[in-house]
Amino acid sequence: MELLPQALVDGIMLGAIYIAIAIAFSLVFGVLHVIDFAVGEWIMLGAFAGFYLNLWGKVDPFLMLPIVFIVFFGLGYLLQPVIQRVLSGHKGNPLLMALVFTFGLGMIFRGTAQTFFGFYSHSIPSHFSNGSFYFEKGSFFLTISSVRLAGLVYSGVITLILNYLLRYTDFGLAVRALAQNKEAAGLMGVNNRRTNKVLYALYTGITAMTGVLIGVIISVNTKMGAEYSIFAFFVVVLAGMGYLAGVPAAALLLGIIQSVFLVYLDPGWTLLAVFGILYLILVVSPTGLFGKGWV
Amino acid sequence: MSLTKSAIFATIATVMAGGALRAQEFKIGVVVELSGDNATGGNVAKRGYDLWAMAVNETGGIQIGKKKYPVKLFYGDAQSNPSQGAAAAERLITQEHVDLMFGPYASSVANAVGPVVEKYKIPMINGSAESPLVWKPKFKFVFGSIPPVNFTGAACIDTLAHLSPAPKTAVVFGSNDTFSSSTATAFNEALIKQGIKVLKFNIVPEGQDLTPLLSAMKGLRPDLICFGGHDEELINLVKDLHQIDYTPKALLMHYGVTEPAFAEALKGDANQVFGGAVWTETTKTSSKILWKDSQTYAAASLKAFKVAADYTQGGCSAAGIAFQVALQKINATPPLSEAKREELVKALEAVDVETFYGRIKFATDGDYFHANSGISSLTVQIQNGVVKAVGPAKVAEVPTQYPMTPWAKR
Repeated sequence: MELLPQALVDGIMLGAIYIAIAIAFSLVFGVLHVIDFAVGEWIMLGAFAGFYLNLWGKVDPFLMLPIVFIVFFGLGYLLQPVIQRVLSGHKGNPLLMALVFTFGLGMIFRGTAQTFFGFYSHSIPSHFSNGSFYFEKGSFFLTISSVRLAGLVYSGVITLILNYLLRYTDFGLAVRALAQNKEAAGLMGVNNRRTNKVLYALYTGITAMTGVLIGVIISVNTKMGAEYSIFAFFVVVLAGMGYLAGVPAAALLLGIIQSVFLVYLDPGWTLLAVFGILYLILVVSPTGLFGKGWV
Repeated sequence: MSLTKSAIFATIATVMAGGALRAQEFKIGVVVELSGDNATGGNVAKRGYDLWAMAVNETGGIQIGKKKYPVKLFYGDAQSNPSQGAAAAERLITQEHVDLMFGPYASSVANAVGPVVEKYKIPMINGSAESPLVWKPKFKFVFGSIPPVNFTGAACIDTLAHLSPAPKTAVVFGSNDTFSSSTATAFNEALIKQGIKVLKFNIVPEGQDLTPLLSAMKGLRPDLICFGGHDEELINLVKDLHQIDYTPKALLMHYGVTEPAFAEALKGDANQVFGGAVWTETTKTSSKILWKDSQTYAAASLKAFKVAADYTQGGCSAAGIAFQVALQKINATPPLSEAKREELVKALEAVDVETFYGRIKFATDGDYFHANSGISSLTVQIQNGVVKAVGPAKVAEVPTQYPMTPWAKR
């Protein structure tokens, strides 16, 4: 059992990355009803932005996060009306069309990135990458990587900022009103279009910053997006579709399950275990871990 | 004759003339991974095939009798997916009517393409695809220019086992794909044979974050860490080890260490990592076909692509030379009939030629039927960002740097 604390800590660190990937994704789904399958590609593009900014500016990537946020906030702000146009169609199923649209968008991003950035993997160096905290007493030992700890702090900060925005600002009030009832919110004076644009821009900005974080902790390449799209989707489903408060718990659970399986059981079964537990939870509670998601 | 009829006849005549012209070149289908998870390796393989075609065509083509026949490559993207690879092969054979085929980078895709070329009786040479599983079906029409990974893996472990102080313990991980799991199995078997205790042997899901596994492994303090994976996974593993601050005495990886992008991504952390290969830019070879030695080939690659060549790229170019030699031997002219392709298989089995890559000679019996048995495996190590051969002793360019310098002191 001496490995259990290490497995739990690593699981929490892994879960922190999933929180950062899924939190804004869940918010966009809850309000705009867009399952953005390009989420992984926003991560990839953010990671490349971080990589090149670091290459040219020689500045620690954590200091470049605000620049990446602003750039991708702008891109998201410009793109949202196009997605809104798809969502507001009257023929067919607009939700399904939006899903297909973002899936296509992801493919375009990936293909374009491969053309411009090539197929090699890169790494973003950071001062946080060096060193770790190590504790040892008898048979007990614990290693905490400083860069992953920075990732945990980042996820915590993002979650707290979003929580503050949603609970204590007029923008948050408008977002919550839109999530409950679009028509009623509009009648109460909520600017639907502008709120949606800012919300989607927040999502792309946060997701791109998470890409930089992943580039520092793991690596950067044009193929990385698909994997993170899947995990973002799993976390959101596990949390309950559109239930933002459930995301941290769902992400941490997913990270801990993976970590414990990797350490204690056959690592080859890790993903099967993750999927198995996810399906089991959905069979018992189709609206997610807390029973508060969409049906 | 009306204007319309004239136009139709003119079109038919043009198409027929075009057909006749096309028959003057060898059409070679290439199924590689131009996109998807294995796009890096797939594009490295593409560079190898392209460089051979460019070099041949610069000389006017393959000399058959008194005439030269250019080669033309027709690409199919396997998208790093075996079923897409098989579909691409089928399309190249049935629609493009290719005479010959070059095989994919990844063993999993090569395994799917093999039955297709066997069905249509199209000779194919894999310039990559190192898993021993590629050779298990013993296809008549499938050849390979790189020996199976169990030879390469065993050679690396042999080099490491004889270092001082001798490593006593090891952990082995392999990513869950055909090549990587075969590599890990090869490492594991060779370690046991060398009397090195394997503390942990795991096949892990592709792309899995291995930090929890490595953190737990840190408590075991293994002397060696051996990993079978592809480019991105190798980079992630080194970063993970740095992040948990564990430096083993030696870190052995295969494939990707010899790819220039590995050292470029990891900078100083790439140094002292061991890898397996069958060729480097400095391998001593001598040839009369296209490139006179390794250095000449490396220079040609650098000129064409501005990227240093690795052994996968070299293996793909060497595959072209094997075809070239066999076609010349049977005086084959395009397009190749089924009878001529059968004859070509026999000619390939008889190929025994010195190339810039080393000797190409395909096995004609045994477990690795049609794999190249002409070249030996090398152990390489990255030293100051450059791939250097460090084993076996008779071909070592430089002494090994061992044990590894701790990450924090780099």
